[in-house]
Amino acid sequence: MARVIGLRLLGSIGAVFGATILAFVIMRLLPGNPARLILGPLATQHAVSSLSQEIGLDKPIYVQYWRYISDFFQGNWGYSYSDGESVRQLIGERAPATIELAIYSFAFTILAAVGLALASTYRHRPITDRIVRGASYLGFGTPPFFLALLLLIVFFKTFHLLPGPEGRLGVEATPPPAVTRMYTVDALLAGQLGTFWEAFEHLILPSLALGISSFSFLVRLLRANLLEVSREPFITVARGKGLRRWTAFRRHALPNAFLPTLTAGGLVLGEFLAGSVLIERVFNWPGVGSLVFDAIVKQDYAIVQTFILLSAVMFVLVNLVVDLLYAVIDPRVRIPSVASA
Amino acid sequence: MDELALSVRGLSTVYETGQATVHAVRDVSFDLKATERLGIVGESGSGKSALALSILGLIEAPGRVLAGEILLDGGRDISKLSDRQLSAIRGKEIALVLQDPSSALDPVKTIGAQIVEAITVHEPGLRRAAARKRAAELLREVDISQAERRLDDYPHQYSGGMRQRVAIAIAIANNPRVLIADEPTTALDVTTQAQVLALLDRLVEQHRTAVILITHNLGIVSDFCDSVAVMYAGRLVETSGVDHIFISPTHPYSEALLKCVPNPERLAEGPLPAITGFPPDLAKLPTGCSFAPRCPVGRDLPRCHEETPEPHRVIGAAGAAEVECHFAEQRIAEVRV
Repeated sequence: MARVIGLRLLGSIGAVFGATILAFVIMRLLPGNPARLILGPLATQHAVSSLSQEIGLDKPIYVQYWRYISDFFQGNWGYSYSDGESVRQLIGERAPATIELAIYSFAFTILAAVGLALASTYRHRPITDRIVRGASYLGFGTPPFFLALLLLIVFFKTFHLLPGPEGRLGVEATPPPAVTRMYTVDALLAGQLGTFWEAFEHLILPSLALGISSFSFLVRLLRANLLEVSREPFITVARGKGLRRWTAFRRHALPNAFLPTLTAGGLVLGEFLAGSVLIERVFNWPGVGSLVFDAIVKQDYAIVQTFILLSAVMFVLVNLVVDLLYAVIDPRVRIPSVASA
Repeated sequence: MDELALSVRGLSTVYETGQATVHAVRDVSFDLKATERLGIVGESGSGKSALALSILGLIEAPGRVLAGEILLDGGRDISKLSDRQLSAIRGKEIALVLQDPSSALDPVKTIGAQIVEAITVHEPGLRRAAARKRAAELLREVDISQAERRLDDYPHQYSGGMRQRVAIAIAIANNPRVLIADEPTTALDVTTQAQVLALLDRLVEQHRTAVILITHNLGIVSDFCDSVAVMYAGRLVETSGVDHIFISPTHPYSEALLKCVPNPERLAEGPLPAITGFPPDLAKLPTGCSFAPRCPVGRDLPRCHEETPEPHRVIGAAGAAEVECHFAEQRIAEVRV
């Protein structure tokens, strides 16, 4: 087990290193002098060269790289050119909204995918199976922002069932006292059930829209795995022992079918945590995605660069966790097999 | 000795896919006495495994058992029981060993957990420690050394032969009346095959278990079984004591099958003969005798292609047999001459 952890950890460090190199090189390949970019076309040559010196552009490339990564990992992410705020503070303010949405969307995706995959494979139900497969194709083919608009038209505009694109809470509501800054969690901590419900309602449509394509992907993967595993002889053996159908399925088919899904689930969570520019736009969600969108429009490179590197690091971390979970669940990863006894 | 352990009457199983109906088991009847060992022999696709699963009520959709009675201990018909009621019988009174040991065990559960499960499912009140102790005893019984320690291993840490022993340990965990072994040694190499077969032999002797051994290997039948049923296209075409089939095989298919067994004494006769043609498509069965298109006797006889043969009871040099062939009497007389 220690060997497995060590190997995975080394792999993750390597991946983060690769990502920083890539981000660094791309930045250097961009035309123009960053100091000139910061100061604008009207600055004097003298001002540009003194800024260059100040931010270390005259140092050798490896020194620049070292400063780049040590700054990044110390949280010195620079300042937004457009409004002068520190990038760390800007991202810190927006992250809870994105993380909360990601968690809810992930929960919806997993629950719906598991539920529907089970419904379409447990026992022979050709019609249910066909409906689930059809739905997953539809979900796969529908662009999330289009679905987001569709959901708004149906649930907000036509039937007034759920709130419209007004962000995390209604305009008149006050956020709960900040602890985690995830509104549903904070509202519960403060005992404000009304606020919790309002925050929850605001999460429903964005979660659906964000999760739909991952859901379609997961449900198909899970369905195929479940079908394959439930045909395995060890399921027949389990039934032959006298286990009821569901018991055999739950104890022996599910754990084996979930293994490949774990990897896919990690990828999905990583994607959600990076935030979705389009979904956050449509729902006026004050998350990292919309921050980055604005930054791109304003050519605010400090924000964009930090975001890219942060996403990479987070992706690697999520996958590290998945790999370790894998080793915990699957003994074939953890324990080497006997060559042949 | 003569009490019946299992009696199957008119069992038929079909698989219904959208376009075709595959008749995997067709009107199969046989008796299995307590401690008897019946070999069921046939080519791949003759319906042997479907028969095994039908007896246990484990046919999965789109397959289903059409008709038939399965009488346990000569009395109770278990074919009409609900899945819940059948679960109490599976593993407890009728147990199953499958062909491929590499896929018969759950790869993510320990060997111990998988044996314990077989015990506790029929004794829900049993304490963990007690069940574990029984599991270790079972492992020792199937000749796995350091049983206590190896309970915590996973299947991929066992060799193929050891996994098949574990499968056997699971099957005998509750002292079943009947053990159905579906090609239990086919996936093993020859020396392991012999060991596993010897183990099975010893255990069923000790536990006084009746066995249905499904195989395509006539050699195993002659070593292990008391009686034999030859299966062709979903039917048992010849049922007899084990000696009969080797001394006076009466159904032309049994005879042909026997000729395909390698025999050093017949090396001089040239290459091993093969049965010409292929088994019939179980979705498009011919009328008359299913073997007629390949049969050296009836290939050109209209009767064989039109009329389904009834079971004929004949007495050969090595005892009685039931043979589904129009010419059973004639053929047995010829063999005797």
